[in-house]
Amino acid sequence: MNQAPIIATGLSRYFGTGDNAIKAVDGVDLEVHQGEIFGFLGPNGAGKSTTVRMLTTLLKPTAGTAFVAGYDVVKDADKVRRSIGVALQDAAIDPLMTGRELLTLQAVLYGLSKIAGKNRGEELLERVGLTAAADRRVGTYSGGMRRRLDLALSLVHEPTVLFLDEPTTGLDPMSRLTLWEEVKRLNAGGTTVLLTTQYLEEADQLADRIAIIDHGHIVRQGAPRELKAMVGSPTLSISVASNETDEARSILSRFGDLRPTSEGTLGVGLARGAEDVASVIRALDEAGLKVRHLELDEPSLDDVFAEATGYRLEGADAANKPVETEAAPEVKKSRRGRK
Amino acid sequence: MSIALADPKMMASSSSGSSLFRHTFALTRRSVVGRLRQPAVLAPAFIFPLFFAALGSASFNKLAGDPYFTANIAKSFMNYAVAGAVLQGVLFGSTSAAGDLATDIEQGFFERLLASPISRTAIVLGRLAGSMVVAVVQVVIFLAIFLIAGAHVESGPLGFIGLIGGGALLALAMSGMMAGLAIKSGSAEVVQGAFPLVFVLMFLSSAFFPRHYMKGWYRTVADWNPMSHIVEGMQGFMNHDLNASQFAKSWLLPFCIAIVSIAFALRALNNRLAAS
Amino acid sequence: MSNLTAEQPVNVRTISEGARPFEVVAILVKRSMIRVRRMPSAFIPSLIMPIFQLIAFSGAFGFAVTSLGIKNALDWYVPLNAMQGASFGALGVSFGLINDMQTGFFDRILMAPAQRWVTVISSLAAAVVRCFVPITFVVIVGYIGGMNTPGGPMAIVCVAIASVAIALVAAGFALGLTFRMRNLGAATLTQFAIFFTIFLSTSQVPLSAMSGWLRGVARINPMTNILRFARQGFLGDVTWEQSWGGLLAMGALLILTFIYAMTGIKKFDQ
Repeated sequence: MNQAPIIATGLSRYFGTGDNAIKAVDGVDLEVHQGEIFGFLGPNGAGKSTTVRMLTTLLKPTAGTAFVAGYDVVKDADKVRRSIGVALQDAAIDPLMTGRELLTLQAVLYGLSKIAGKNRGEELLERVGLTAAADRRVGTYSGGMRRRLDLALSLVHEPTVLFLDEPTTGLDPMSRLTLWEEVKRLNAGGTTVLLTTQYLEEADQLADRIAIIDHGHIVRQGAPRELKAMVGSPTLSISVASNETDEARSILSRFGDLRPTSEGTLGVGLARGAEDVASVIRALDEAGLKVRHLELDEPSLDDVFAEATGYRLEGADAANKPVETEAAPEVKKSRRGRK
Repeated sequence: MSIALADPKMMASSSSGSSLFRHTFALTRRSVVGRLRQPAVLAPAFIFPLFFAALGSASFNKLAGDPYFTANIAKSFMNYAVAGAVLQGVLFGSTSAAGDLATDIEQGFFERLLASPISRTAIVLGRLAGSMVVAVVQVVIFLAIFLIAGAHVESGPLGFIGLIGGGALLALAMSGMMAGLAIKSGSAEVVQGAFPLVFVLMFLSSAFFPRHYMKGWYRTVADWNPMSHIVEGMQGFMNHDLNASQFAKSWLLPFCIAIVSIAFALRALNNRLAAS
Repeated sequence: MSNLTAEQPVNVRTISEGARPFEVVAILVKRSMIRVRRMPSAFIPSLIMPIFQLIAFSGAFGFAVTSLGIKNALDWYVPLNAMQGASFGALGVSFGLINDMQTGFFDRILMAPAQRWVTVISSLAAAVVRCFVPITFVVIVGYIGGMNTPGGPMAIVCVAIASVAIALVAAGFALGLTFRMRNLGAATLTQFAIFFTIFLSTSQVPLSAMSGWLRGVARINPMTNILRFARQGFLGDVTWEQSWGGLLAMGALLILTFIYAMTGIKKFDQ
């Protein structure tokens, strides 16, 4: 192994020119190590898909360089394509074709011989549990089946690096778990995986390391455990009557930094850890404030995200499909002010 | 668009004759404004008839050397082609207008109209009257262009009115049929799918070439195709002195078809209301 | 952050050696045929329209050509409508490409290690295969209607060559436009371009019967030469004098539209 399978330096992509240019990705530095699952975490429009499209040769960078599997994504695009497998958002599968036909087509596109393609197709159908449905038109597949077929298609040529762009968006919990298991199995076999996601749990469960991207910039990068440790203290969330919010906020600030929390609650990162909970309650009680709800959370990736970006990812329109397009990359998202 | 519902006059009782007129007028206005706001949809109804007329005039003008043609049909092929262009433009315009109605149904605006105290008849009549207004504008523009290009209305000013009236009545007949189809199907796609039928009606008639020169089964179909007679009535206004048969063909015939097609449209509306 | 350059590739486990052009073209054409078979509603109009036009033109305008000494109106209109039918196949290619772009399937093809010219050739080949169906039907209807082929089998060969060339030219133009516009407007514009190019030529009557502006336009329209090439075997013998102009026009248009398609996909790539 000579170098990391994915290396990006100052990778940028702007849409439009001049002052009106939208900086969908702006100076991303990234290094994904051999054999790891790397999670690319961010809300809709943060720049995840644009980054993946550049790394997979679908989009030329405006600035910066990127090497995938050791090849320059611009100068050696063809070699990059031979080495990578990609499952993009919205499983781009022709609904009029059958699963088996699509696998055959994919095998030809990647230069496999007829026999090798056939054998590989059967093996992959078996692997993703679609052998029985192989001769049905894809239009009749469920969302989970389509995603699994998409994954199988991306593996036809046994790529060394696999890109999964929001592989579980829109899937039910069971289908999501099935896909996670398959990704873990692939990774155990030595495939390096870069997956984008807007689900914190997915990144937490699967990724060896993650990068948080916001407004086209990477704001945090590292192993989930390290990142959580950086946030440090647990978060205490309380809710009080609306007319007591200001006073409660003032009291909480004595125990640590105020943190963004869900609507209607106040959050504080307890500087001395969980042992401060009793002191907080006492102080609120002494001030005559009635605590309606109280919750103590150990640091999570959401806290890491909130600490890095000033707002929380959970509930930030996760159900909506990303709308990053070349014409108009969306950069808006629901935001809560950082205190 | 919310013109119809925003008009306070629309909210009057739907029972009286005057309210039917008011509702029809308001919905006519909405229909016309809606058409004019979609120039891209309206453009083919202007461009293609004029293009085909220009093409026919340049391609078939040598036909004017045929004694039968000059004696009985027209002095020039352009003078002959005017009526065909009017027919084609009106048929295109009416069919695409019915597409608007189907879109109203698909998008739920039709339901909103039904839920308001508006005369049911006015909903259909307003759409048909809108098509007639657009057809009148279309015929006037077409005639102006052809007159500038050198065409001549042989039957004089009354023939000019005859052509405009014929175009309007044809629009009424065709719109009624297509509106019925739109209400019955509730699908813009089905209405669009009826376009080939319009082509068949036009080509299997004397709209583009005189029936006299057609042969065999094609001639028989053209003889029986009412479009042949309607367009020949209009061709009469363009190429001959004024006479009653021109009105009978280009006014009375589309009027009779209009009665049937409006009945079809109203019946389709009743069936839709009964089903909802 | 590492600032390495690609001195050596990483982990060369991949079994992909790049796509074999001929196989890629064959499988993408096969896919196009599968789509036609499984969604006939999108294909049937392109089959019916040229036949309807053949019947309508020969029925309505027949006198205009038979009065000029042509034995049967079908002799004049079969080549025209075969070529029109072939051009509709190109529209199908444009619609298919737009659909693939919108669904993301085209990304899958772009990400494969197949060269871009192979992708363009695949679409052109699909248009050619699709065009044989309407050409065959139009010729069959022509035979049923009693068309004459004094040029013998070469008459049909000339129609086939001209129709395939028109399918390729129209598909190349459609591809170039679709890669640039990336929406259904490309198909509509292609439709307009084909329509006007065909009708502003000797589509309806010979050049000698035309008058005014149309004669001037038709004279310089390359479609006139191609139609002359396609019709010659229906009106008399197939000769080099009647052929070279059409062959030259077809060759030039094929080169131009192929370049247009290739620069289009290059633009799309960027």
